[in-house]
Amino acid sequence: MSARPSSLAIYTQHLTGRFRRTGIFWAIGLGVYIALLILSYPSFRESGLLALENYPKTIIEAFGIEDLTTIGPFLDVRVYSSLPLVISFFPVMTFAGALAGAEERGSLDILLGNPIPRRHVVLANWLALALVLLAVLLVVAIVSWGCGRLINVGLDAADALRASLNLFPITMAFGTLALALSAWLRSRGAVIGISFAVMFLMYLLETIGRISPTWAGLRWVSAFRLYGSAITDGIDWGNAALLLGASVVLLVLAIGLFDRRDIYT
Amino acid sequence: MTVAIVTYNLTKTYGANRGIRNINLSIQQGEIFGFLGPNGAGKSTTLRTLIGLMKPTSGRAEILGLDPHTQTTEVLARIGNLPTEFALDDRMTGRRMLSLFGRLRGLTELAYADELAERLDADLDRPMRRLSRGNKQKIGIIQALYHKPEVVILDEPTGGLDPLVQESFLSLLVEAKGRGQTIFFSSHVLSDIERVADRVGIIRHGQMVAVEDPHELTGRAHRQVRVEFATPMTDDMCQRLAGIPGVENVAFESTIARFTVSENIDAVIKLLGEHQVRTLDVERPSLEEIFMTFYGPEENGDAA
Repeated sequence: MSARPSSLAIYTQHLTGRFRRTGIFWAIGLGVYIALLILSYPSFRESGLLALENYPKTIIEAFGIEDLTTIGPFLDVRVYSSLPLVISFFPVMTFAGALAGAEERGSLDILLGNPIPRRHVVLANWLALALVLLAVLLVVAIVSWGCGRLINVGLDAADALRASLNLFPITMAFGTLALALSAWLRSRGAVIGISFAVMFLMYLLETIGRISPTWAGLRWVSAFRLYGSAITDGIDWGNAALLLGASVVLLVLAIGLFDRRDIYT
Repeated sequence: MTVAIVTYNLTKTYGANRGIRNINLSIQQGEIFGFLGPNGAGKSTTLRTLIGLMKPTSGRAEILGLDPHTQTTEVLARIGNLPTEFALDDRMTGRRMLSLFGRLRGLTELAYADELAERLDADLDRPMRRLSRGNKQKIGIIQALYHKPEVVILDEPTGGLDPLVQESFLSLLVEAKGRGQTIFFSSHVLSDIERVADRVGIIRHGQMVAVEDPHELTGRAHRQVRVEFATPMTDDMCQRLAGIPGVENVAFESTIARFTVSENIDAVIKLLGEHQVRTLDVERPSLEEIFMTFYGPEENGDAA
């Protein structure tokens, strides 16, 4: 006789199916975007637009550009540096809808009328989203590698996988911030607004901090400082662990906040 | 008899005049208990605090001997619940929801859900976004009853249901009671409660006003009567009618008499029978009129 699966396993499986639909759209959208950028790389290179002398000194310093005429730095700077901003939309929007949004819609209390601990509801959302996000990032890696092979620019599978996996800790950190806010606040709009405000502020601080010595001291508060250039420099596992650690702290906070609060319709 | 639900000075406040205060209830196993009150009286707050969606400010509750705030999942495993505004994600169908909820409850058999769907004429395979309010409410009722829980807690279950479905729903409650299930349901419609409830708790401005037999409650309340006679009324007849104890607010106009009667209905009918009556309308009191009669006029104050 097999043991009955826990409510965490049941609900995680249910949510994985639900998030998968959105994940497929994200995978298609990101895949097309990345394919277009990589496939246009030879034209950029031949046009001479990628030569360093075409870029202002401040931009070169801000993005740590060394050489854009090889595929690695090109992808790091032109594609992957801004992808955390784009991909974070997926977990932020999903988590904002999962608790605060569900409460606004009135569908949360019907779920919580079942024998499922509230912590399992929070944890299942996090686990299901993490699984689907990893799958989306795997598609991004495959598309990057496939397109690289197509134009024969020397992008190997390990590079593509590293670059994609490096997106996971930072996007999950911003997503889990939204989850904690969603567990605390009762407005989906407020969760999305605050999460994106924090994300763009951090991006701005990191960018300005790289250019201006006056602002350089504030870079430490930005999660983007821990992101790096995975194709050129490899994944910084220490920084990745810090970002994942931040996600875990925010997840524990989300569970604590959700467990204690009243649910309204 | 075993107590299924009991509250001890259950209080939940949010804001100066909102919430519930010192609610004391005791509902027996196998009883249908109606919870009556005007909108905003505190019915939903009481029910939501009972099932652990809200934490009480003070006081406590027990369902089947368990504390819903410290033993939440144990309590939820043994109850069925319908919140006041039943909603699901737009794409979800009733069947998918029942399959998920059934798995969370460790059920593999959903035959009773299909039986309920048939009796309530509910469509379990249509996504929520394509269902009317009444049809959504049917799905909500099914998910509260399909696992035959020991205790069923329903918040305004008849909202949006057409009269035929209401009828089926009320008979489902009576059947559930026959199986020994305890039903605690709120309504602001007296007739719903009067027809099936063994007792009715009346809440107003967040406080329990009374626990009554619902038939006694309506029996004691006055009726609005309008009689039209074939010929104009004589002064003597008007005086005799107005003189019957319990007859009040008498107004005569040619062949028509309007009055309220709260007792001596037999004397009234006998008097009317002495004359040729063309039409007779007797209206039951509204909930508001009952409140006015027994518990004084409305005051300002609100609860969720």
